[in-house]
Amino acid sequence: MATEISNQTKEDPGLNSGRRKLQKWLNKSMKICMTDGRTLIGIFLCTDRDRNVILGSCEEYLKSPDSGEKEEPRILGLAMIPGHHIISIHVDEDRSLTYNWNMDTS
Amino acid sequence: MSVANSSNLSGCQINDTTVKPGYVWQDVTEDFMKASSDLDLGELLHDCSFGLFEAMSAIEMMDPKMDAGMMCNQIKRKVLTFEQAVEAGQLKVNNFTAAELIGVMDATMACLVTWLEGHSLAQTVFTNLFLHNPYIIEDRTLKAFSICMLKIVDVIRERVNRASVFEEEDFQPMSYGFKMAYDLTDVRTTGMMKEVEEELNKTLRSTRSKPGEERGSAVEQEHNLAQAVYSRVKFYRLFYSLLVIYTKEKLFQSDCIPQAQKILSQLEELISSIKATISYGIQPAEREATKNDYPTIVGFEPLINQRLLPPTFPRYTVIKDRSEAILYVEELVHHLNIVTTLPDITSLHAILDLFMEFSKSSPCVLARSILQLAVLPTNRRVFGNQPIVEYMKDTIRNFIAPPALSAKCSLHNNSQAKEYVDALLSQAVRPICTLIQITGHNRARQRDKWAHVLEELANLQEEADKVDAYLHGILVKTEPSRNHLACFGTWVLYHSLQSMIYYTLSGFELELYALYEYHYVYWYLHELLFAWLVSTLHRADNFLLENDMASDPAQKGRSNKKNKKKKRTKTLSKEITIAQAQQQMFGGYYKAVVGFRLSGKMNQPSFDFDCEEVRYSHRFAPFANVVTPPMVHYAQYKEMSDLRRYEPEPTAFDVYGSACKCFHQAKALLESLPVQTEEIQTLIKIAKTNFVVMKLLVGGHKKDSVTPPDFDFSQHRVYPIIKVL
Repeated sequence: MATEISNQTKEDPGLNSGRRKLQKWLNKSMKICMTDGRTLIGIFLCTDRDRNVILGSCEEYLKSPDSGEKEEPRILGLAMIPGHHIISIHVDEDRSLTYNWNMDTS
Repeated sequence: MSVANSSNLSGCQINDTTVKPGYVWQDVTEDFMKASSDLDLGELLHDCSFGLFEAMSAIEMMDPKMDAGMMCNQIKRKVLTFEQAVEAGQLKVNNFTAAELIGVMDATMACLVTWLEGHSLAQTVFTNLFLHNPYIIEDRTLKAFSICMLKIVDVIRERVNRASVFEEEDFQPMSYGFKMAYDLTDVRTTGMMKEVEEELNKTLRSTRSKPGEERGSAVEQEHNLAQAVYSRVKFYRLFYSLLVIYTKEKLFQSDCIPQAQKILSQLEELISSIKATISYGIQPAEREATKNDYPTIVGFEPLINQRLLPPTFPRYTVIKDRSEAILYVEELVHHLNIVTTLPDITSLHAILDLFMEFSKSSPCVLARSILQLAVLPTNRRVFGNQPIVEYMKDTIRNFIAPPALSAKCSLHNNSQAKEYVDALLSQAVRPICTLIQITGHNRARQRDKWAHVLEELANLQEEADKVDAYLHGILVKTEPSRNHLACFGTWVLYHSLQSMIYYTLSGFELELYALYEYHYVYWYLHELLFAWLVSTLHRADNFLLENDMASDPAQKGRSNKKNKKKKRTKTLSKEITIAQAQQQMFGGYYKAVVGFRLSGKMNQPSFDFDCEEVRYSHRFAPFANVVTPPMVHYAQYKEMSDLRRYEPEPTAFDVYGSACKCFHQAKALLESLPVQTEEIQTLIKIAKTNFVVMKLLVGGHKKDSVTPPDFDFSQHRVYPIIKVL
């Protein structure tokens, strides 16, 4: 399937800028705030048209990590967040975390 | 992370306390929404290393069945830890009333019982906040109780883990890193409890009704409450002491057993007084209960550990009712009594029999584990002092008296022979221990395990036959009159057959067999398994007789009377009679079923895609691994059970007649047993009833009825009473 996508991208780049953008984010850290106030941080692995997102090595925080309060996260592992429960999505843009995460797991 | 690694990350902010990288978050919510809407319906965007299969195993957030964390956010109440609650003034650590203490103790017991029934520690016992940190409790009674409770939990967990006769449905061994008061010794713990008891005793004495003195109702009330607290404190102290005694490896050598007996009788008394005073404890307030959150009393917080649970976990833990919990504990204490009866047991076979009998009462995982460890403690010696091989030798001597194990036989001094025997017996240790362990599992799991052990026993059988043949070769050279053929082999075969029988019979108890399957199950039991068992036992018995005399030639000359007496001490006649009776019972059932089929009372349902051969092969599949007795395949069964082999072909009445004979014989055999246990008496009653039913059928009773008969298992789980409708 992955190959299909890349083929399509080559064929008509204009139409699939969305796909390319998503591809670029794959395997990067992502922070998702959910409708019930919890925040999940994990590696962006998969999504679909309904914005259902799958995060790997996912950690759950009850409060937003930005609130300053220190909080032990709960380790969830692989988690799927239904699109309609997502309030906001942040991507860790600055550096390639693929590299970093591989090191963490090694 | 090493220094080299962190230097690689020089570009990012590194948090000084944790090595986790700091993130630079960029809000992409809008972009993401727009981008994802470019995807086609049903299309997944993913990396090549991540596929649909991986996606399927993700837990779904905000799904109440999968998402444990969701609960914490859905209640309005704030969940506080013990320390937070104390700090916030919501929870006191001193001046508990007697009613509060009774309530806390009883609620904790209910949690303990719920844990023993297979729920997680975090959702049961550790919903009691006091147990999270008993050291900051100031109330002495509560503090001592909390510490004692932690110790009890710890010793239970250790015992059950060690015995490992549980499956996930029986027990959750996770301790979630809770601290179980490891820094306090057993003696200190019981000492603290005793101090509290003494203090309560003072109150009891001062509030006791004295002759000639009118006692106010308030004083009387105080007295009763103090008495109730006292019984509980004493109960937990003794219960803990009992568990500690049972952890000893040399349980049967010092005065442990008398001590345990004393404690057990005390516990029984205390239980009845606790039972009577359950209503004294404070009760949870009337508040709306949801599946995960329920009203509790002071110090309990059902949701405190919600976040400790793994992402996928059963959420719904119903804590047992306090009065049900005490009944459970009463049964547990009753079951723990069995350990004190163990020292009288001298053979492996008797141990297995006792364990099977014990298992029938479906004891809880703790009782099962303690029993297992009493017989085979961690030092892997029977009763903690006898090497398993030695114990096995004794058992085999009593079963079949092999010349190789007799001190008076020439084989005894043959080093090569000795080596072979020792090798065989040490190979037997594993399967024999497995047999004992199987009896410790819950009833449903035993079935799989019996099937599984057959493979190991089949290997052992092969080995035993080889050793027997070798020993025989040596023996006939020196003592041509004796033989060693199939000696150890017979013993192993006995265990194989027993395992096969247990496996087959458990199908009745677990209600696996359909009515239309009965004919081949009964046939297999009657014609094959029990027939083999009877002949195996006969063979062993003859061997016993032969070798007992051979090994003691001096006795031949002595008085006949003494010789007879000696013979009687070593005989398998009881086992033979019981096996014969069982064989006859199943013969009766088989013939009855054949009769029912002939007279149209039990018709084979004709399902689409049904195949009796497939069902038959499935039912007896584990037996295919065993060489002796060889598996009887379906075609053979069809041939052997074909009524056309008889001349003239029997009618339903003839078959009922022979079923009648079988039940009659079974009854006579059982009645001939010198010791009539409750089980034997039940069997006699069943045999008698079935005999009468068969007699009626022979006489033409309900001849034209085509209603299928009823097999009523209410008297016995394996042997039904047949009812013709």
